[in-house]
Amino acid sequence: MMHDFTLRVAGESGEGVITVGETVARIAAREGLQLVTFRTFPAEIKGGACMMQLRLSDQKISYHGEKVDCLVALNQAALDENFPDLKEQGVLLCEAECDVIEDGLSATVYKVPFERIAVREIGSRISKNIVVLGVLAELLAIPKPRVEEFLAEKFAKKSEAILDHNMQALEKGICFARENFSKREGFGFPPGKPERHLLMTGNEAIALGSAAAGVKCFFGYPITPASEIMEWLAVHLPRMGGKVLQTEDEISAICAVAGASWAGEKAMTATSGPGVSLMSEALGLLSIAEIPAVIVDSQRGGPSTGLPTKTEQSDLMLAIHGSHGDAPRVVIAPTSVSECITMMGAAFYFAEKYQMPVIVLVDQALSARVETVKPGIVEEIPKSSRLRAQAPAEGNFARYKLANSPVSPAAIPGTDGCEHMVTGMEHDEFGNFACDDETHTAMTVKRFRKLEEIEHDPLTQNLCQSIGEGRADIGVVTWGSSAGPVEEAIAEARRLGISVRGLVPKILNPLPHAQMKKFFSEVNRVIVPELNFTGQLASQLRATYRVPTISLTKIKGVPLEPSEIVAKIIEATDGLQQRSARRYGRAR
Amino acid sequence: MEEQDKFCDYLSGVNPVWCPGCGYYGILGALVEAFVDLKLPSKELALISGIGCASRLPYFVKSYGFHGIHGRALPIAQGVKIANPNLTVVTVGGDGDGLAIGGGHFPHVARNNVDLTYILFNNAIYGMTKGQFSPTTTLFSSTKTSPFGLTGEALNPSALAIVYGASFVARGFSVKKEQLKDLIMQGIRHPGFAFIEILSSCSSFNTTDMNVARLLKAIDTVPADHDPENPVEALRLAGDESKIHLGVLRRSSRPSLEDRFQEIEKKAQRGKSHGIDSLVRQFA
Repeated sequence: MMHDFTLRVAGESGEGVITVGETVARIAAREGLQLVTFRTFPAEIKGGACMMQLRLSDQKISYHGEKVDCLVALNQAALDENFPDLKEQGVLLCEAECDVIEDGLSATVYKVPFERIAVREIGSRISKNIVVLGVLAELLAIPKPRVEEFLAEKFAKKSEAILDHNMQALEKGICFARENFSKREGFGFPPGKPERHLLMTGNEAIALGSAAAGVKCFFGYPITPASEIMEWLAVHLPRMGGKVLQTEDEISAICAVAGASWAGEKAMTATSGPGVSLMSEALGLLSIAEIPAVIVDSQRGGPSTGLPTKTEQSDLMLAIHGSHGDAPRVVIAPTSVSECITMMGAAFYFAEKYQMPVIVLVDQALSARVETVKPGIVEEIPKSSRLRAQAPAEGNFARYKLANSPVSPAAIPGTDGCEHMVTGMEHDEFGNFACDDETHTAMTVKRFRKLEEIEHDPLTQNLCQSIGEGRADIGVVTWGSSAGPVEEAIAEARRLGISVRGLVPKILNPLPHAQMKKFFSEVNRVIVPELNFTGQLASQLRATYRVPTISLTKIKGVPLEPSEIVAKIIEATDGLQQRSARRYGRAR
Repeated sequence: MEEQDKFCDYLSGVNPVWCPGCGYYGILGALVEAFVDLKLPSKELALISGIGCASRLPYFVKSYGFHGIHGRALPIAQGVKIANPNLTVVTVGGDGDGLAIGGGHFPHVARNNVDLTYILFNNAIYGMTKGQFSPTTTLFSSTKTSPFGLTGEALNPSALAIVYGASFVARGFSVKKEQLKDLIMQGIRHPGFAFIEILSSCSSFNTTDMNVARLLKAIDTVPADHDPENPVEALRLAGDESKIHLGVLRRSSRPSLEDRFQEIEKKAQRGKSHGIDSLVRQFA
């Protein structure tokens, strides 16, 4: 049977919530367990409520879990906020001073004086998080040597005394749990597996994937929730001979990407919605000038400054259409941390091969979540290269040659005999400005034909995930980080006996038409869950395939929960039953 | 004649679209002569521009040319130079492109000391959109969009460049072609960010601010004893309202962005280049 355990740690930012969560996560990864986490961020720089949730399993999981088996609440506010999500038979660990109404409660409640142990017995308030860790280690059967090993690494650069201090705090926590808690079999960590997993956030995965795909120049401007991508690359890219520059704004960043890419290097930027808005004009430039570029958009909530620390999937239309004129670009959306690595490879593959901008859509929840990744994953990254030109035997080099293939060989500056213009103006084959209707039509068609070729590219065929096969009453189509909860919801709905399957296009422009059309022909009703108000993917599907869709939208700043999707599936099933009842008459 | 042949070698064959009498023809001539004298191979020359009359220049010169978007020539040029430091990168553009819409990029490319030459054609008007005021148009001027007189003070491009920390700042005049060629050559040779402001008339839309006859009376060569290493003196000359000083106003020596990147790489690698495997291991 699948082992499935969900832990949530909640408190005030600065109380060590994240340290506890990350430590448990790291150990789980080293134990060979699968792990998906979720964390919230307060909008404040210091203080504010925060929580980290970890779901661990001995099998593949794609969602961070809905109800929790164990809740750690470090203060009253955290308790009140998070208690409703505790399972009925779950375990609550809370700070001793918290008020818990225990009447009629089926959950187990352990009040632990975390703070008092830290202050009185260790003599430092900041070691409270290690006391929490000790209590959890005992309660959840986390192998103690692993915890000690981790602390030794964490404090390796600190003094012996500090490490000693923390080891004591750990021991105090363990002792308290041993003396006061009753043992629960099978609660917490399952037995470990021999292989160790990597553990990283979505943003780290994007950065690692970019480095592995061969990015040489990164230009960016700090923005929540994408900054960590630039921060990671600033440390590590120079080690591989690459360059990172923080520019004065996003416009400068994308334009520097254009320049660097034209000069022959793989170049990228990473930003959030506000940055993409600023970059929109340059997206058109990259498109018309046919310059490869990779742009990561880690989406956050709302328009303008909106909800900077909350998650949303509301930039789909911006990604596909943002910029004036007809400006084709590729849009892809990974659904997990592992895919953040491999799909950065896909991004550079499409950008370099088809000489156009590629937008990678992730969101705050995926950027920030920590997930286990298999160690050999970087080997799955597709290789990418740009078709290079040779100098013409005579005459000028035609950078934008109209030929059978919409992709013209490119020459990078420095190549002998291929001097040419690239330009944001409409241009002829040689890059000279030309505003006549024939040229504009021919060149626009050339640029859009790339999307047709991409649709049939072998790599595209792997960028659409089917959940289940064959005919079904209900079809669920979703994208990006909503794929995890959809997968869980479909499994749950099937357990309820509903005929349902799912489709997750990971390339959203161009859409994988063959697979989409087949899917629509095989299902009766289409539900489209996504994290935005207007149903952006649903609109896109209606416009492209003329299929009626049922939108399930959410703008609460947090991911969809499987139960919300299951409810929608059930609702749609009722509708189907009523419709078939009308059509065939009611059973007598 | 060999020299003339070489001049022709740098022409792309696309004819300039500028108005008859435009000062930019003189600048184009001086620029190409500078390339000839510097013996710069076309293939190693990257000419980057934004939008405007001046920004059309790359089409006319045999080189690797990039005609980008309005105001963004410098960020594009910066990306080109960072990706391939072997290229000679020259950025051209007008006063509107560089100081209005693109005004936010200028200080940063200057302070980063990116090794490129930025030539700003200052005709104090928007020519391509036919006669609206620019950031360098004189106060109170009547233009199409300031029919009752301009409300904003004119910016002084050279003074700005000095304040922004440009390591080379010079001012030239489109009709003073020999001096202009010399300034451009000095700018291209300068290891770091070189800024050259070129005063030029607009024969169609601004014959007052940049009236050649008036300018010829107002100009003066930078005094022989001027020390361009002294930023305060440089700023005084650049801002002098009694005379328009032509020549090298500012020159200083400091590491370019490329020098900095080399230092960063050394620090990051500590003697050994890292492969992707070592980066993966930190997540174990």
